[in-house]
Amino acid sequence: MKYSILLLILVATSVCLGQQSGEKLLARQGQVTFFSYTAAENIEAVNNQALSVLVLDTGEIAVDILMRAFVFKKTLMREHFNESYIESDLYPKAKFRGRIKDFDPEATEIQTRIVEGTFTLKDKTVPLSFKVSIQKLNDSILISGETQVNIDDYNIKIPKLLSPNIAKQIKISFNFQHTPYEE
Amino acid sequence: MKNKRRLFFVLLCYPIWSWTVGAQDIEAVLAKESASAPTGYVMSTFKATRISIGHAVETRKKGALEVSFMSRYWNTPQPTSNDFIADRMSARFGVDYAISDKFTVGVGAAVPSGIWDTFFKYRILQQKIDNSGSPVALTFVQTGTYRSTQLNGIERRDDFMDRTAFTTQLLIARKISSNFSLQLAPSFVYRSSVQNPANDQSQFALGFGGRYKVSNHVSVVSEYYYVPQQLSSIATFGAFSLGANWEVGNIMLQFKMTNNPFFTEDTFITQTRRNFNFRDGNFFFGFQGTYFIQL
Repeated sequence: MKYSILLLILVATSVCLGQQSGEKLLARQGQVTFFSYTAAENIEAVNNQALSVLVLDTGEIAVDILMRAFVFKKTLMREHFNESYIESDLYPKAKFRGRIKDFDPEATEIQTRIVEGTFTLKDKTVPLSFKVSIQKLNDSILISGETQVNIDDYNIKIPKLLSPNIAKQIKISFNFQHTPYEE
Repeated sequence: MKNKRRLFFVLLCYPIWSWTVGAQDIEAVLAKESASAPTGYVMSTFKATRISIGHAVETRKKGALEVSFMSRYWNTPQPTSNDFIADRMSARFGVDYAISDKFTVGVGAAVPSGIWDTFFKYRILQQKIDNSGSPVALTFVQTGTYRSTQLNGIERRDDFMDRTAFTTQLLIARKISSNFSLQLAPSFVYRSSVQNPANDQSQFALGFGGRYKVSNHVSVVSEYYYVPQQLSSIATFGAFSLGANWEVGNIMLQFKMTNNPFFTEDTFITQTRRNFNFRDGNFFFGFQGTYFIQL
């Protein structure tokens, strides 16, 4: 009996805590841009539909990037990107799961912090950490920064003939405006 | 004692449990949000705007200019010949331009058949992913051709209009899996004149096409056109093609084995005079190179 009461209290507090820690912010139209610079060709693609969830008190951050939403200047590249390289029929999303180290949800000045986590692309998950700048504006939190991924880590096959046109290191820049999430 | 152990176990599990509840929350939010996003259209049912010899449902996006070189090479049935590599060849030079994402126009000229052709192509429907919308893609194709020289002696050659022919096609395609796509092409061919009254001016045909992706850049394609009511004055056969498409960046290379030297629908659908086999005279090797330019 005693223990079941204790258990009940534990569950109750955890639900309360869960709600507290569940204070989440969401960015629906996060911008993710990637660049590939080579002597032969520069490729740039923009995605304005990246989803990002930020948990305020833990600094956890999760980003889902829909691969087919990347838009290229050269329209044929979008087809090739989805069909021949990323295979977005099979792997529709890239995912980042991580945590902002020493994140202060109350700070009003711009914070520069390290994010540590993993990046998943084509079912390959590789650790990734990078610097972000965080700015609080009223209710919303802006997170922006840059990182790089190595194509060889992610099971992306590039034909020899085209390897001069695609960089080994892809630069990624991002910009998320998180606003309070209401279910 | 037993209860104490249980309490200890509960206390141990508690932080893990509350943590996983929090983590699941994030995934749930992401899942819910991505589910509410509109689903897109299926991309790349075929990689090129032609399956092999005929049109595919695909059109290019606005501002795309494609310059294409199509060719066929074959041998004559003569037992001896001194021609270099192949006895005969035919070629078509063409330009396709995408006025919008759904509307493409094109022109081309072929030698030695002397056929000039124009076409437009309009995407009526696109297949949606997740089967949430149309299960198939629909594209309308209209071509108009002009024969500057005598070919099979089918049409009268009195004036300009007599030498024209028109093909209307409704292309119906479905990307069945990421590797496999099929297309049906009900086609209607109308020629403005006939020399021999035994030949019909209008002919129907049904085209079948498919592609199978063998690697990310290479697919195997095949096409066949069934013509129920064939010409009476000459023996004709259904146009057939088996080939491979290889995409190299801006260039699409299409290799094929076929049974005719023609590049325009009205001609190869209704006036293919050879059946497909590997004998000299019947076997045509085809090569097409298409260069993509974004304007």
